[in-house]
Parts: sequence; C-alpha cells; structure tokens
Amino acid sequence: MTDPTEALASARAAADRLVKVKRLNASLTPPKETRKSLLQQAAAVHPSGVLYGMAVAVKDNICTLEFTTTCGSKILEGYRSPYEATAVARLKAAGALIAGKTNCDEFAMGSSTEHSAYGRTQHPTDKTRVPGGSSGGSAALVAAGAVPAALGSETGGSVRQPAAFCGVVGIKPTYGRVSRYGLVAFGSSLDQIGVLGRSVHDAARVLSVISGRDPRDATCEDRDSLRLPTVPESLQGFVIGIPKEYFPPDLDAAVRRACDRAIRWLKELGAAVREVSLPHTPYAVPTYYILAPAEASSNLARYDGARYGPRFDGHLDVRALYRRTRGEGFGPEVRRRILVGTYVLSSGYYDAYYRKAQQMRALLAQDFRNVFDRGVDLLFTPTTPSPAFKAGEKLADPVAMYLSDIFTVTANLVGLPAVSLPIGRVKGLPLGGQFIGQAFLEDEMLEAAYALERVVPAGAAAEV
Amino acid sequence: MSVSREEVLKIARLAELEVDEEALPVLAEQMSRILEYVAQISGVAASEGAKPFIPGPDAVRFRPDEVKPAPLAFGAAALAPAFKDGFFLVPKLGQFEDAEPEG
Repeated sequence: MTDPTEALASARAAADRLVKVKRLNASLTPPKETRKSLLQQAAAVHPSGVLYGMAVAVKDNICTLEFTTTCGSKILEGYRSPYEATAVARLKAAGALIAGKTNCDEFAMGSSTEHSAYGRTQHPTDKTRVPGGSSGGSAALVAAGAVPAALGSETGGSVRQPAAFCGVVGIKPTYGRVSRYGLVAFGSSLDQIGVLGRSVHDAARVLSVISGRDPRDATCEDRDSLRLPTVPESLQGFVIGIPKEYFPPDLDAAVRRACDRAIRWLKELGAAVREVSLPHTPYAVPTYYILAPAEASSNLARYDGARYGPRFDGHLDVRALYRRTRGEGFGPEVRRRILVGTYVLSSGYYDAYYRKAQQMRALLAQDFRNVFDRGVDLLFTPTTPSPAFKAGEKLADPVAMYLSDIFTVTANLVGLPAVSLPIGRVKGLPLGGQFIGQAFLEDEMLEAAYALERVVPAGAAAEV
Repeated sequence: MSVSREEVLKIARLAELEVDEEALPVLAEQMSRILEYVAQISGVAASEGAKPFIPGPDAVRFRPDEVKPAPLAFGAAALAPAFKDGFFLVPKLGQFEDAEPEG
C-alpha cells in the first residue's frame, strides 16, 4: 500500500470499525476524535514506511501527542502529554496511524480491565466476561477486528494474559528491547511495552519497528531493532522445555487439553520436547506482588495535584492537598498497591519482604539459566490457568485476581521475552499457549510461534 | 499477618494517601490477606550471597552532558492545575511537620 489514497481509505475503515465496537468500551478516545485524527494522520503520512496505513491503537499509559493519556485514572483525567513515547514516534515514522487510546486497568494495575476509572471493557465475544488486563482494551479491539495491532504494556503479563483471553497474539519483549521512554512508569524494573496483533506476523512487524536502542531510556539495550524471522518449514533442531510447575494438578482441564494438543503439534513439527523444572515458580506471584507494589508506591508518588492532572483540594495546606488529591484521584486497586508497597518498604518490614523478594528474584532467574544452559532453546506453557473469567468474579478478592497472572509474572521478573498465541477454544472461549524465550532471542521464539500458529485450526475445530 | 486499622492509617500517612474511615476495615482485611499471601516466600532458603538479578544493560550508558532545550510540545504552564510567573502554585505549607505519631 503506497498510494496516499489508500492510507485515507485505511483510516476511514478503521474509524468505521471502531464505531462498530463502541459497546466494548475498549477505546477511551471518542470515535469522532479518533476519526478526525486518523484522517489528519493519513493525509500527512509518508508512503515509504513499512507500516504505511496500518491502524494501531495505543494503551492509555503510553504517551501520545494526538490524544490524552490518562492511564485509566481519574488522577490524570484530561492529561495531555507534552511529548510522545519513542514507540509511538517510531510507529508514526513507519507510516502507522495511531487509532486512539485503549482502556486499561488504572496505571496498568489489574488483570481484568475492571479497574479503570472509565468503566470496564467487555470481552469481545461474551459481554459477561472480562477481556483480561491490564491491556484489555488493546486486546479487545484487536480481537474484534477494529485494528490489526495495538500497543500494550507488560509489568506482570498485561499483554499476554488479555491476548490469551481474547484469542489474539501478545508479545512481551526482553526487558531493554523496547524503549520505555513515554511509558508511564508502574514497576520500572519490570515494565516493557508489548504488542497485540491478529497474527504472529502482525505483532512481530510492529515489534520490529518499535524496538532498538534509544538514548532517552538508559535501560534500553544498545542493540539494533529486531530482525523479523522467516516462517520455518519445521521446528527440526528446536529443543522445547515443558516446565512441570506450569501444569499443576488443579490446572483447568480445558487448558491442559489444549496444551497437551499443542505439545503434540510441536513434536509433529519436529521439535524435541522435554520436561524441565523451574523449582521456584510457586514463589513468583508472591515475589511479584512485593516488588511491583514497592516500585509502584515510589513511581506514583509524583501524582500529587501540584504539577499536572486535576487537583482535589479542601484549601487546607499543601500536605492535605497531596493526600486529598491522591485519595480521591486513585481508585481502590491502586490505593491498595500503594499501601502494600509502602508497607513492604517501611522500616521494620523491608528485610522480611522487599529484600527477601529480591533474593527470590535472583533464584527465579537462576532457574531459567539452569534450564537454558542445559540445551533448552525455549519453554512452552499455558498462558493463563483458565479461560476468561466472569466480570466481578475476582473483584472482592485481590489475591484470587493476582493468581490469574501465575504463568506470566515470571518472564517479567527475569526480564525474558515471551509470546502468547491462541491454541484452542473451550465453549467458544479462547485459550492461549505461551513460549518463553532466551534474552534477546525473540526471533527464535517467534519462529516457533509462527510454526505453531500455522497448525492451530480455526473455528469449531479449535475446540478442545 | 494481620494489619490493624492503626497500621493502615500509619502507612497511609507515609504514602500521603487519604483513606476513608468507612473503607478502613475492608482495607485492613485485604492488606492482611495480601501480606499473608506474599509472606510465604519467607520460608524459602535464599543465599545471602546470591547475585541480585537486575534487568537491563550491565552498565549505564551516559549521554553527553549538554544543556539542550526540552523537546516538549508545550510547557508546564499548560499542564499545572495552578501556575504563575514560572512557578507551580500550591496551598501554604501549614503545619507540615505534623504531630502524628511515627509509631
């Protein structure tokens, strides 16, 4: 597509599709505003880019100049960033059209997109269920066919888990593969921008464009952008590890059946499959829910009603301003995590919680090194312990909600790349399988994902 | 691990976060449950000498120390709830060093 009128046609088509899926509450940008911006972008975009004319929606915790960036929070209602994320700038430079901002759990804290100040996002095929989270708006838009790809962000699985629930592909790159400049910080040692796409190819194309060195982010590795892999004929020569800790006895039966079937396909594709052990896996979620809130409590200290965002004050004194603004502006899950984070960092509890969690993180990283050092190329696991759950089902029990991240948080804790792709359905609900790769070997991981994607049947044949 | 109402209030003060009185019992119960759940890692043997895992580059790359204009689409005045003559406006400091017990 290099004819300028084709970009305009693409913009109009995307705007029309976004109107059709408005009921999902997946986009936070009003459809008229999105349409106007898409048409302006299409008129100005240079036709030489590799993503020329591709409509890409962006999670609302990634800064854009065209649209507000609220992080799904009342505390940033109406906030317009004075700069844009490197990932967004690169998309635009490659010819993509930014198709508005997507709903998410407030400050990316949640697994269901129910913790947004702007209402929950519906699952694209079952309105009684959640789309996953926190990048649930991005996943729902891609699954509903409104956009071919969307940016999300990962701190503990927030791209892969909604990708699995909605039946799309979600890639979490290696920590340092994509610049975090312009990604609103939640857990700085865990956060990465990720991509959701209709297919492995769509998601990989976008990842390739946004990846690579960026002097504006000191945690971004000094590497070239990701080289797009070719679709392999077979997986001959690949050694794929199946970590037994990801298949506990109480794993949902449909998830187990789908994974068993996918493992058979991997063998038929020529991969050598062997069982491996990551013994500290059961401690990943507790470790994550110490470290992530600790980092969040520090990162979110900047929201105080003084420099940006709305101000909630009683005209008392400056400290009352801070407390009132933060108390009123943050929703319940964010308040809970700030309190837990402050608690685990406070005098008397630091060693027992935060320091211990850092030691656990080192042990988790050692688990992966041990497996990869023994000749395993990548790992295959379920992405989630169940299909999409009912809206409201886990809202009253934060720990139950946290456990929906049980198979995704480890990749964030140890900084490794991972990709979730659809591997089946149960009663129409999508199920996701996950490859976890070695650091900066996304190309190898994506080759395996390409190969598996090709053998997963569509429609009713996907049922397990 | 049980977190009391008073502990929640103390932590909320440290976090500069106003908490509703009515929300306190539920918040204390939820925090207790979360802290009890995450405390399970305390039973795992971890070597004090284990090399900490730090993601990202092994060494920080420094940029040239040059003063450049910030590439912003607009300045702070357009963002701040209250801004005058180059300054962010906030209410008076008041009794900043409050008399709340540090516990």
